[in-house]
Amino acid sequence: MADYSRHGGGGISWPSRARLALAISAGKLAGASGRLFRIGGGTSLPGMIARRIDPNVLRSVMAATTASKIVITGSNGKTTTARMTAAIADASGRRVSHNRTGSNLLQGVTSVVVNYADVFGRLDSDLLLFEIDEGTMPVAMPEIQPDVVVVTNIFRDQLDRYGELYSVAKALDKLLERLPETATIVLNGNDPQVASFGQQARARKLYFGLRTTDIGRPVPEHAADVIRCIRCNEDLVYEVAYLSHLGLYRCPNCGYELPPLDVAATSIQLDPRGDGPTQVTMQTPLGQVELTLPLPGVHNVYNAAAAIAASIAAGFGIEKVPAALSNIRTAFGRLEKIQAGDQTIYLAFVKNPTSFNLVLRLIAQHPGEKHLLLVASNTVVDGEDFAWLWDVDLEEISPQVADVICSGTKAEELAMRLKYAEVPLDRVRVVHEREAALNAALQNAGPGGTLYIMASYTPTQELRRIMQKRGWVKPYWEE
Amino acid sequence: MANEQGKDTRLVLRIGHLYPQLMSVAADRGNLFAIVKRCKWRGIKTAIDQIFVKQTPDFTQYDLILFHGGADREMEVAAQDLQAKGRSLREAAESNTVFLAVCAGYQLLGHSYKPFEGPELKGVGILDLHTEGGSTRFMTHIAIECEFPECGKQVLVGYENHSGRTYLGPGAQPLGRVLAGWGNNGKDGYEGAVYKNVFGTYLHGPVLPKNPWFTDLLIARALARRYGQVELPPLDDSTEQAAHTAAFKLAMAFKGTVSAIDATPWRERLSPGSTSRSL
Repeated sequence: MADYSRHGGGGISWPSRARLALAISAGKLAGASGRLFRIGGGTSLPGMIARRIDPNVLRSVMAATTASKIVITGSNGKTTTARMTAAIADASGRRVSHNRTGSNLLQGVTSVVVNYADVFGRLDSDLLLFEIDEGTMPVAMPEIQPDVVVVTNIFRDQLDRYGELYSVAKALDKLLERLPETATIVLNGNDPQVASFGQQARARKLYFGLRTTDIGRPVPEHAADVIRCIRCNEDLVYEVAYLSHLGLYRCPNCGYELPPLDVAATSIQLDPRGDGPTQVTMQTPLGQVELTLPLPGVHNVYNAAAAIAASIAAGFGIEKVPAALSNIRTAFGRLEKIQAGDQTIYLAFVKNPTSFNLVLRLIAQHPGEKHLLLVASNTVVDGEDFAWLWDVDLEEISPQVADVICSGTKAEELAMRLKYAEVPLDRVRVVHEREAALNAALQNAGPGGTLYIMASYTPTQELRRIMQKRGWVKPYWEE
Repeated sequence: MANEQGKDTRLVLRIGHLYPQLMSVAADRGNLFAIVKRCKWRGIKTAIDQIFVKQTPDFTQYDLILFHGGADREMEVAAQDLQAKGRSLREAAESNTVFLAVCAGYQLLGHSYKPFEGPELKGVGILDLHTEGGSTRFMTHIAIECEFPECGKQVLVGYENHSGRTYLGPGAQPLGRVLAGWGNNGKDGYEGAVYKNVFGTYLHGPVLPKNPWFTDLLIARALARRYGQVELPPLDDSTEQAAHTAAFKLAMAFKGTVSAIDATPWRERLSPGSTSRSL
């Protein structure tokens, strides 16, 4: 028994241990058969099966491991931030276990454990990295007991799942208060709401963000969510707004303002054509870092800042950061560039006004007319309430639109939204079936042409599966 | 564009957009887009004033006022600010200005809103109704049947997301009868409220784009206030009708569910990559 105590299983009774072993084995088997038959990467199924057999599977393995545990949550940027953190940890010689496919509900998180642990629940990792959906945090946090929690940002996201923005934020803040003083909370200082988190927390706080006037706009865009003071409700004054409500803000009434940033991007050069690379100077408590990110857009500067702050919190240092981040690739569906024969596809997973607007602004900088495929569905992960589409600034791209195919259960709403953005009706067509829609859109793009796909989560996976069959992409679980 | 811009009719619709940033949680600016574009496509100009907190314009100058939804925190700010605007808003309502009030905006046109937790908020009392917070939220697709002299029986489709239960007094008529969804309080089978040209509803989605008949009714009544009866030339609404039909099918498919997302079948959770379910 003593040999288990270091790795796992210590103090667990034999019946419990047998149950744990059965849960992990069954989960592993489910994942393996899923991959074998190519029906899916087994990203949430192993965890689901394992939890059915032993509801304590995640808690047991977490309680026994000595690895450090980083949790990354927030509305946008979780997957890429987690990938960047993993790359830095990896380059720093850490063995990392990570739910890298972005399956971030409780089952997906449990799948990490099932996939990486042996049947005794022992993990051979130095670092466990979990990307966790903000709505799953209340159940996941007590089971994981993390050392570092990163909150990337809070945007309106799936109102029909989590109620209003503030209740999500309040619940998250409460969870952070319960962390012990040995833990670290990594917060986006540019987000007025996230920056206000953890005021009552015992844990150490690290703030990341941007502090530059190289980029940004004087006032937040329409879809911005939090532009009033967290303390007194007065309208915030922005020196500069980088993305939605993220920026350099101050309350003219009570003086609430962004906290001093520990990790700050102080100089940013974006690619004017809306592609990579992005040059960033990052100030950190351990010194200055010069980065060349192969990814486009201000959102990836945030992801890098968050990842660097998480790495500092977990004690990796910053020496390996530039090298680790110079090779980073987009996560699947994050404006992923795909070669499809002689055609090029940009695949963007869009899930709320902020991510959709970001993608629109980036591709609006690409030269030429645009061939689009827009797909929105209504599964449990995509949400039922699609009102947010009207907060998407399709007007910004409508003059460049050559043609659009709309697909998914919300295809008609998409087509109507385009009409009210003054895209001529004869350029818009509804094709419900997914593969037919992709074919029609590629035909629109023509030989050697470029197709831009913007899709919610489920259709992104469906489209990627079709492209995988055609040999254009690797399965997302092998990415 | 199938709907070619017509000649300049020299008509101007004056719109007051109340709290365009504060009260905009469910992308209800789509209602403004619907009104503006459907006017533009007919050669009718629109003049839009955005009205923020601390501003007290004369609301009787507007033919149409939009007042949309917000989360509880925003609603508190609006409720407090609204008292200074109350008298002029009531004058506008009495002088036949058209109001479209959605969700929290709808609630605040009533007498009061008592949240499930927290202090009661005072409304402006234009609509004879009061609202109490419930312990559960109605979050699902909704369809209601309305009847107006201009257009006879028509269906409104949208999405509702509210915990408030609204009860009408004798001075307000319901906007419609619930076909699927929950409406004002989930009990009496009615949705929304009407008084003169003041329309309150829980429907968002946003409500106007995929209910073009309702948009046109609001535009026609708003123009009539200033110009007398105006005939609105018909537009090609095939795109809107398709969206209307799709939303109606969803509402009927989810009939009886309190939360559409919770009613989504387990199959979708197990395998989120499966082909979208056909309804």
